[in-house]
This record gives sequence, C-alpha cells and structure tokens, in this order.
Amino acid sequence: MIEIKNLKASVEDKEILKGLNLSIGKGEVHAIMGPNGSGKSTLSYALSGKEGYHLEGEVIFNKKNLLELNAEERAQQGVFLAFQYPIEIPGVFTNNFLRTSLNSIRKANGQKELNAVEFLKIVKEKSAELKIDPEMLARPLNVGFSGGEKKRNEILQMSLLEPSFVIMDETDSGLDIDALKIVSNGVNTLRSQDRSFLIITHYQRLLNYIKPDFVHVLSDGKIVKTGDWKLALELENDGYGKFVN
Amino acid sequence: MQDYNNIKVNFDHFIQSLKTTTDDLEFRKKSFNHFLQKGYPVTKDENWKYSPLTKDLKKFTKFDFVKNQSDTLPNEVKELYDHYSIVFVDGSLISSDINETGFSIKKNNSFLKSVKKEGDNPILNLNNAFAETGYLIEIEQGYSVSKPIVIYNYFSKNPHSSFFSFKNFILLNEESKALIFEKNIYLSDREYLITSNTEVFLGKNSELKKYNLNYNNKYSTIFNYIKANLDMLASFECFTFSHDINSCRDELIINLNGKDSFASINALQLQHSNFVHEIKLQINHNEEFTKSSQFVKSVLHENSTAVFQGKIFVDSKAQKTDGYQLSRALLLSDNVKFFSKPELEIYADDVKCSHGSSSGSIDNESIFYLRSRGIDEKSAKQLMINGFLAEVIDKISNKQFRDIFINRLGGI
Ligand SMILES: Nc1ncnc2c1ncn2[C@@H]1O[C@H](COP(=O)(O)OP(=O)(O)OP(=O)(O)O)[C@@H](O)[C@H]1O
Ligand SMILES: [Mg+2]
Repeated sequence: MIEIKNLKASVEDKEILKGLNLSIGKGEVHAIMGPNGSGKSTLSYALSGKEGYHLEGEVIFNKKNLLELNAEERAQQGVFLAFQYPIEIPGVFTNNFLRTSLNSIRKANGQKELNAVEFLKIVKEKSAELKIDPEMLARPLNVGFSGGEKKRNEILQMSLLEPSFVIMDETDSGLDIDALKIVSNGVNTLRSQDRSFLIITHYQRLLNYIKPDFVHVLSDGKIVKTGDWKLALELENDGYGKFVN
Repeated sequence: MQDYNNIKVNFDHFIQSLKTTTDDLEFRKKSFNHFLQKGYPVTKDENWKYSPLTKDLKKFTKFDFVKNQSDTLPNEVKELYDHYSIVFVDGSLISSDINETGFSIKKNNSFLKSVKKEGDNPILNLNNAFAETGYLIEIEQGYSVSKPIVIYNYFSKNPHSSFFSFKNFILLNEESKALIFEKNIYLSDREYLITSNTEVFLGKNSELKKYNLNYNNKYSTIFNYIKANLDMLASFECFTFSHDINSCRDELIINLNGKDSFASINALQLQHSNFVHEIKLQINHNEEFTKSSQFVKSVLHENSTAVFQGKIFVDSKAQKTDGYQLSRALLLSDNVKFFSKPELEIYADDVKCSHGSSSGSIDNESIFYLRSRGIDEKSAKQLMINGFLAEVIDKISNKQFRDIFINRLGGI
C-alpha cells in the first residue's frame, strides 16, 4: 500500500507538483495520464528518490516515509522506476550492472548474493521471456540500444529485481506492436496480490493489454480526475480539454 | 640556478670506470655536454611547460652509483601465464639471455644498435650519457613469438643507487610479430631518478603490441621515452596503464615512415594523492596512407594532476593520412588539475584528422539511474569510473591482456 499525501515538488522557484494525493492498494494497477509537462515524470522521480527537488508532503510505503530514504534505499525497499529515457552508460556492461544491482538488493534484504553462474541462469530465463538477445547484455548499458530495446531492458530489470512498487514512465512509447505485447505480458505475469503498479502513459492502447484498476488525470501538478479504465477511452476520444482549463 | 658541478664529477667517475669503445665514450661525452648546455628542463620551455619533471628534477644535484646486492623478484609480481621473461631488479638485468630460433633477448651492453644522435631533449641527453643497463629484443624475419615477452622492471624497497638509465632496443624484422608486456614496479620510499630510452624499429608488415603497467610510484622521478619507426604496413599498438604514478613523464614519438603503417596509442591514468603524471605523444605521418589513433583517459582523485600533450604532424607528402586523437578526463574533486594540449600540424591537403578533449565530473543522471537500481552511491561511482576507463582497455586487441587489465581495474 502506497499513500501519497499532499506531495509538492519544486525546482528552484518553479512548483511542479502542487499537492498530489493518491493511494495505491496492494495488488492494484493505477494509470496516470496527462498532458505534456503536467508533472508525470517529476512524480516518478520524486517517488524513486532523484535529488534536486524541494519536496513537501509524505509518501508512506511499508510503514516508512519514502521521502526520508535515498534512491538506493528505496530500491532496496522494493521501489522500481522504469525510466521514460533510460540512461546510456558507456563502459558499464549490462550483465555486470544487472548482477551488481540484483546483489545489492539481495544483500540489503539479507539474502545470499548470487554468483556469476547462478545469476546467468536467471538472466537467461528472464531475457528469453522478454525476447531479449543475450548478446545485447554483453554490451555496455543501453549504449547503441534502439528505443524499444532500452524499454525492454527496463522491463528485464523489473522482472529480475521483483519490486513491490513499480512505476512505469511511458514504457510503451517507442515500442512496436509486438514489443508492446511482450512488455505487457512481462508486466501481467508480475501482477500479483502484493505488487502495486503506477503506469504513466499517453496511450489508451497499453491499457488494453494491462488493464488498470484506476485511471487518473494529472494536470498542472495535481490529480484532477479519477475513474476506472473507461476513463482512458474517454480521454482517447475527447482529449484532456474537459479536465484542464 | 641549478649547480651541476657534482653531476660533472659523477660523470667523470662514471666514464672512467666504464669499459667501452672510444666511439661510445665520445658519444657519451657529447651527450653530456649537450645536457649541460641546457641543464634540466624548465617550465619556460613550451615542451616542458606542464611537466612535473621541471620541479622534481631539481632535487637531483648529484648521483650515487652503488651496485646493490641483487635482490630477487618477489613471487607476487610474477605473471601466471606462460611467458618469456626479462627481469630487472634495481636496474640490473638478472635473467639470462634467451636465444631461440626466431628471436633473441640479450643484455643491451654496448648499445651497438642504438642510433647515436644527441637531440635537444635534455633528459634524453642525460640518459645517453649515463646509460648502463637495458635489453635488446630482436625478432627474425617472418617469425611470430609464440608467448608474451614480459619485462619485469622491479625496484626494491632499498636500491642504493639514486640514478638509473635504461637504454632498450626492440627490432622486429619484416613480417614478424611480438607482444611485449612491461611491468614497472616501484616500491622504494627514497627519491631516485629513472630514465629509460627505448628505440623501436618495425620492419615491413611487422606487428608489435606493447602493453605497459606502471603503478604505485610515490617518490621517484621517472622519464620514459619511446621512439618507434615504422616501415610499410607495420603496425604498433601501445597501451599504458598508469595507476598512482607520481612525477613521471611518458613520452612517445612515432614515425610512420612507410605507406600503410599504423599506430594505435592508448593510455589511462588513474591518480590519487597529489601525484602528477604526464603523457606526451607525437605522431609523425611521414608517408602517404598512414593511420594513427590516440585515446587517453584520465581519472583524477584528491589533489592529483594529469597532463596530456598529443600532437599529430602530417608531412606535405603524407596525403590520405588518417589521424585521430581523443582525451577525456573525469575530475573527481575540486582540487585536481587536468592540462590537455592537443596539437595538429598539417602540411598535406588531402587528410582526415580529428581531435577532441573533454573533462568533467561524473554524470549525475547516470548515478541516479544506478542508485535507483539499489546500488549505493559509492559503488555507483566506482562502476562509472571503471566503465569510463574500461573504454580504453577495450581498445586492446589481445583478449588475454584485455582481461588482465580489466581484472586489474576491478581489483583497485
Ligand atoms: N529540473 C527541472 N528544472 C526546471 N524545470 C523542470 C525540471 N524538471 C521538470 N521541469 C518542468 O516541470 C514540468 C513537468 O515536467 P515533467 O517532465 O514532469 O512532465 P511530464 O508530465 O512527464 O511530461 P511529458 O508527458 O512530456 O513526459 C515541465 O514544465 C518541465 O519543464
Ligand atoms: Mg515525462
């Protein structure tokens, strides 16, 4: 259960999130839609611990206020952000990164770290499910990956780390029709009683594959409308005009 | 003013004790006089402007030459794979000669093969005057040396001399191939001066890979000089890994004299403390269709300094030259300094040359990405730094050595 209470975020003097309230129950999938620049990515960063914002309010997760934890501690607690623009890191090999990440989280949770062989076995399985060529994992992280490959790599990380709170920021943008199905399948297999999702998207299409329990409209740093999955259809047809003035 | 009187006395003693030919004596005297005319390099000299040596050489107002009771090479520095070895301990060559069909390794005793020309590099002149140790590697025509040749240049905790001058010679005859790994290990906490002067001749279609590892020099002052001459189709690949090396200038001059010759020079500097390391490269494209690439990466912590001066010179007849140079530095504290001076001097009109230089801190977006995956800040930085340096190591064409250096980086 995630409880976002009166969350405000500003950069320098610009207020981006202006008192946002949202609760996401265990096992629920919430979608957030909203015009460009309304603060969706900022919300995802504020939740996952990016520095550089002035934040107010509270985000309660696992009985802790997330805002008091740094980025790695939040990840270790089970928060995962699939980035809108995954970062390219030359020289850091994807395999090595994935193993370091998984082991950091296991270690923080008192689990045994995986050796190279154990890790390889898991990563092989997961990447096959997501139709990711293992050759890609031998390359530097996201360097030279196509837009769709980067997004699939995000989902691979999600399925490796098995987080309990997943934030997806426009993971569907840039995916071809088949990739969209593969990624949606990946998400759907992870859907479970104790995992919550916050899915940021511009397109109702994704929500055909991953059916949300709730759809919210974010406008000018606030949630201005909440409905069920049919709200997404409505937005697709009529645009945001009704909710934004 | 620096006083060279003691050094003059040292030189007189030195040549009196030397058993050598009159030619050699003459050359040494000429070199020494040349040295005296200019003395140690100073910052006013454009070629030495940023060099740590201008400051540190001043400490050497006299030289002690005392032969050590030869120490032995500690086991932990020995490489574990199958290789030929050349072992220097405190400047003395202690391994025996290798004489196999196809190639030979000898003590470079009389420096018979060396080009005897004094130049305007004062430290080189000093080296030529005092040189008394070194190796000579010669590979016969058409022969590929089957194993790496490892040169251990080991300085023990307590060498008695304060000045070591190496003069080495590497000759690859036509169509021959060799891989040489030079490992320089400095343990002493006394101040001493080491100069090494290596001449490389690469015959037609020969191929030399030379990898160098320098680490952990706190107190000595070091000048490493390599000059390589390449014939047609010859290729020279050089990689140098410098980790915590103080007061050192690595200078490399490459003459691409034959058509289609190629040099790839890659280096990394990983520095802490207040160490200063300098890399100076000059690649002379003297003939058509020659190709060169320079790639240098520096990671500077604490109060360290790195200097990179790289020059591409293209002669008027060297049309279709392809020259590339890139240096990048990661500055990890406010107190580090990085000097970069890329130079192009081009007299031909149909050439492709590019250079670039950048320096900056670790990208925060990348750090956040890694941290958002549960990796703590310190480890995330370490991953980024190693990744940054791994890009140079990746240029090493020999897989075995690529892994050796990657592992070395991982262990730091
Ligand atoms: N670091 C920053 N400095 C200044 N302004 C910022 C910063 N980060 C975000 N903004 C501004 O805040 C607003 C919200 O940005 P955000 O990226 O959260 O929008 P978004 O809803 O994700 O948009 P999109 O649909 O285009 O991805 C924008 O006007 C943006 O320019
Ligand atoms: Mg966004």
